[in-house]
Amino acid sequence: MNDEQKPKRFVLVGAGGIGNWLASGVVRLLEWKYPGSGLIIVDGDNYEEKNKERQEFTKLGNKAVVKASELTPQFPNTTIIPVPKWVVGDDFSGVADEESPKIKATDLVKENDIVLAVVDNFAARRILFDAARQLNNIDVFTGGNDDELFGSIYHYQKRDGVEITCHPEEFHPEYVNPPDKNPGELSCQERSQIEGGTQLLATNMAVAAFILGRIHKTIVSNQSPDETEIYFDLGLGKSEPYNRTHAEYKQEALV
Amino acid sequence: MEATSSNNPQPQRATGMANLRYGVYNQPSNIAGKTVKEVRDQFSKIWGIPNDAVAYCGKDKLGEDSVIQPGQNIEFHRRAGEKG
Repeated sequence: MNDEQKPKRFVLVGAGGIGNWLASGVVRLLEWKYPGSGLIIVDGDNYEEKNKERQEFTKLGNKAVVKASELTPQFPNTTIIPVPKWVVGDDFSGVADEESPKIKATDLVKENDIVLAVVDNFAARRILFDAARQLNNIDVFTGGNDDELFGSIYHYQKRDGVEITCHPEEFHPEYVNPPDKNPGELSCQERSQIEGGTQLLATNMAVAAFILGRIHKTIVSNQSPDETEIYFDLGLGKSEPYNRTHAEYKQEALV
Repeated sequence: MEATSSNNPQPQRATGMANLRYGVYNQPSNIAGKTVKEVRDQFSKIWGIPNDAVAYCGKDKLGEDSVIQPGQNIEFHRRAGEKG
């Protein structure tokens, strides 16, 4: 087994509209490309009947637990571990009770992890990016969708303590001052009032597919993450990659 | 860092082509010599650029009165997709 085939640890945070499709794709990658790998699925939320329009689960219950129980018998070469908890920051001072269990991002994300941050809010993504930034070798892929057919993804990468791509806060004020709240830091009642917005299955699946594509290029094929950020619009039939590597901006400054 | 402000002397208004990007849109345009505000006004309706989308040249934030130079790559940053 060469280095490139060594087992990997993927941490999928958010098993909803995007995450449930991403889990199905990533587990297939791990099963055949990297046997012996681990897939950690983290989500404090429950799958409900109303989610059925965009999400595939075989029974009601916690999304991480149900998805792990579905995938485990199908993929014996991959260890799938559910973490039915909400991700919070180190500064979280609220209560973590049985109804709303929490895990700190810094306790979840480890060196050499590949993190898939597909939660539905900037606040929780920010917490995950900040935890990742403290490590020396890490990949974080995130993505989301809005306005029905619009979506975007972003890849943050560090190698040997050096940022290869920029932290998204350099381009996105929504990461510096998130306009939303981390559901992990809300009460059950407050969480139930969060609107999911108008989302489409096609756009959820497209975000998952774009992230899988980036994993293939930058992890499986070990190529440079030049297409760091990709915007797409399924209505217009357009996608546009942006190079957010530090090397690109150094080069641009010299021109 | 803001590249120019109204207190600084403005660069000469050399006209010509520069590249403009916003979200899925990417287009070389005859916008050199125009200010960021003028370009925003020109493209806001056809591309849907909101008033609070900040313009950048590389990592440099551009003020509304910054004059675009020929050959520059100008990007109005689009908010990332949120839901999932």
